[in-house]
Amino acid sequence: MAREFQRGHKAKISDLTAGTDLYVGVQISAPGLTFDISCFGLDASERLSDDRYFIFFNQPKSPEESIQLLGAQAGDTESFRVTLDRIPQQIQRLSFTATIDGAGQMSQVASGYIRVVAGGEEVARYAFSGAEFSTERAVMLGDFYLKDVWRFAAIGQGFDGGLDALLKNFGGEVAEEEPAPAQPQAAVPSFAPPAQASAPPAFGAPAAAPAPAPAPVPAPAQNFAPPSPAPAQNFPPPPGATPPPAPADPAVYAAQTIVAPVNQPPYGQQPQPPQYGQVPGQQHAPGQSAPPPPGYGQPPQAPMPPGYGQQPPSGQFPGQPQAPHGAPQGAAPQGAGVAAALQKYREAPTGQRWTQQNEKLIRVDLGVADQPILARQGSMVLYQGKVEFGYKGAGFAGRVVGNATGQEMQLMRCSGRGQVFLAEEGTHLHPIELQGDAICVSAENVLAFDETLQHEVRRIEGHGIPGGALFVMQFQGTGTVIVKTHGVPVVLPVTPTTFADCHAVVAWSAAAQAIVSSQVRMRSNAYAGSTGESVNLQFRGAPGNFIVVQPYEV
Amino acid sequence: MNQQLAGYAPAPVAARMENHGHHMVKVAMQTGNDLLARVGSMVAYEGFVQYEPNPPAVRQVAREWMTGEGAPLMKCSGDGLLYLADYGADVVVINLAGDSLSVNGTNLLAFDASLQWGVERVKGLAKFAGQGLWNIKISGQGWVALTSRGTPIVVDCGRGEDETYVDPDALIAWSPNLKVKGKRSFKAGSLIGRGSGEAYQMGFSGEGIVVVQPSEDSTDRLRARG
Repeated sequence: MAREFQRGHKAKISDLTAGTDLYVGVQISAPGLTFDISCFGLDASERLSDDRYFIFFNQPKSPEESIQLLGAQAGDTESFRVTLDRIPQQIQRLSFTATIDGAGQMSQVASGYIRVVAGGEEVARYAFSGAEFSTERAVMLGDFYLKDVWRFAAIGQGFDGGLDALLKNFGGEVAEEEPAPAQPQAAVPSFAPPAQASAPPAFGAPAAAPAPAPAPVPAPAQNFAPPSPAPAQNFPPPPGATPPPAPADPAVYAAQTIVAPVNQPPYGQQPQPPQYGQVPGQQHAPGQSAPPPPGYGQPPQAPMPPGYGQQPPSGQFPGQPQAPHGAPQGAAPQGAGVAAALQKYREAPTGQRWTQQNEKLIRVDLGVADQPILARQGSMVLYQGKVEFGYKGAGFAGRVVGNATGQEMQLMRCSGRGQVFLAEEGTHLHPIELQGDAICVSAENVLAFDETLQHEVRRIEGHGIPGGALFVMQFQGTGTVIVKTHGVPVVLPVTPTTFADCHAVVAWSAAAQAIVSSQVRMRSNAYAGSTGESVNLQFRGAPGNFIVVQPYEV
Repeated sequence: MNQQLAGYAPAPVAARMENHGHHMVKVAMQTGNDLLARVGSMVAYEGFVQYEPNPPAVRQVAREWMTGEGAPLMKCSGDGLLYLADYGADVVVINLAGDSLSVNGTNLLAFDASLQWGVERVKGLAKFAGQGLWNIKISGQGWVALTSRGTPIVVDCGRGEDETYVDPDALIAWSPNLKVKGKRSFKAGSLIGRGSGEAYQMGFSGEGIVVVQPSEDSTDRLRARG
């Protein structure tokens, strides 16, 4: 049930889909034109403050992989995978843009769209045509932006400059195109000429003086990359398989977001030490075939999209646009072997106190902020470092909840220095960061929280609730609570008629410094009898409050 | 109807083992290149594939198997495409290419019969009465498929000077060159999971990796089915 957007339309993502793992497809059909489609991760002031969140063909994913470029598939010219709940806080807006590569203007576009797909279903589509544009050379197609919640807006705004102007607009650095005398002629013949006729013209005349047009194509850098011996190429192809031609690996991670290849290796002269796991020599001209990265069982690559030869391998199966396992990996596969196969499951880089490793696993670094945490007993799956686990005596939640319901809510106190990984039975985990506000969480959905948070246990009584009462923990202060849900939860705004099953409700906002009891009221026997839904909670609150419900009744 | 389902058609074969989605592995079977898979893990096959439960060669190696009921492995041979899954667990496919790996028995889905493998018992760890933690060490040139309840995580042990401690129920695999030791509890007076069976940790030290799943559910569903 795709919703058709017009230019300027906006909607909450939560109204479109309950999921936060989205596939964004962009399709532009314009005969003779090629497009660079990229995604800018912008901060609150709409600046590209962190270059690593400029997702384009040369940087196909953000550091924590919340935004990934997937390449052409399923009829889309370019596609992205966006995991909204993993996007770091400082990124407040994702702007999807298309820029013409080479000559042309947007009015030549026949038709195009940007669409959002969640769970295999298209939920939003904004279609446009060249008639809406004139001489622009770039267009901002649509934005995801964070205003309380993530929203999607169809922008459709043209832009006169190319990719570099767009980058400047967002405050990114545009490196000036360097004169190219350093390009040795000798490097050229060592590579077969690119097979695609539509390859950027920069290939043709490498010795030409500085390219006047700011062709935003770092492709030359890749194709003239030092032809150093490739240590990882000697692996035998997997048995019983015909090796598909592998595209060049998109592993060139420039330190800065640059359009022109300034910091690239001086073409063919001094191979730079590999950065970010990049294996020298794994960059191939598009026309060459290479043994596949054997560590990944990837299907044969989709035909390379025209324009640039180094699309990331679209290791996606058709119809499964969200499969993260097949997602291209930025770090070059080091070849076959355990390390390569498991590369995608590597630990996320450290830094923050709470890090979501994946949707079911949270890492807490106790060294950051040096505060102990309280976690449900048995939720630790792994730890490193000098961590002490203490039995958190009952006395607070444990005793109350345990005695009353027979279900022990026992906590352990993790202190010291080191990293602790928390997970429980494959439930989805959601870090909720409180900054002075308050939230109520059903006691059995609490996984862990900062000890600095004030917490108290509340009982919600009502006949019909097993055990006599529902236990709720109210958290207040500054810190993080990890809430676990079975399945992907739904967040509902509180309206005068918001009801939830007391077994399925996970959490609700306690409004800013409000008291929960005034908002929550038992409505026993609301739908008594026939439906079997005898106990419901009704929520009352000012607009802006929300409740979280999981698709699972304990 | 076909249109909606068309997206789930298998991708063309490109390797011996490939993921089909997160939860299924597709194995390209060839005569002479047999596969050992968990009994009950086959969900579909195409072509001529034959299954031999508890083959003699396996019995030989797996004499150490804890339960004494015979190894829960079957030998698959023939030509065709074989699809394996384990109750919706995530499947991780690894091309060993000479590396070696120790895998928790319940997390092993399938591996090439040409690999060197052996059953080991982790010493000093009796997870439950009557069911020790057994693991299979695999090495050589070939492919291995592991299962994980939820997306796994790979932790580098060599990163810190401290040891890495893992809940044995959450452990999937580790580098065999790591030193393993069982650890009962942490210190006097501090108990983790008092009475919940989680007083054991496994400590790993040395250079290598540990793979952990985000769930402490180590129930062997394939075996439980009987």
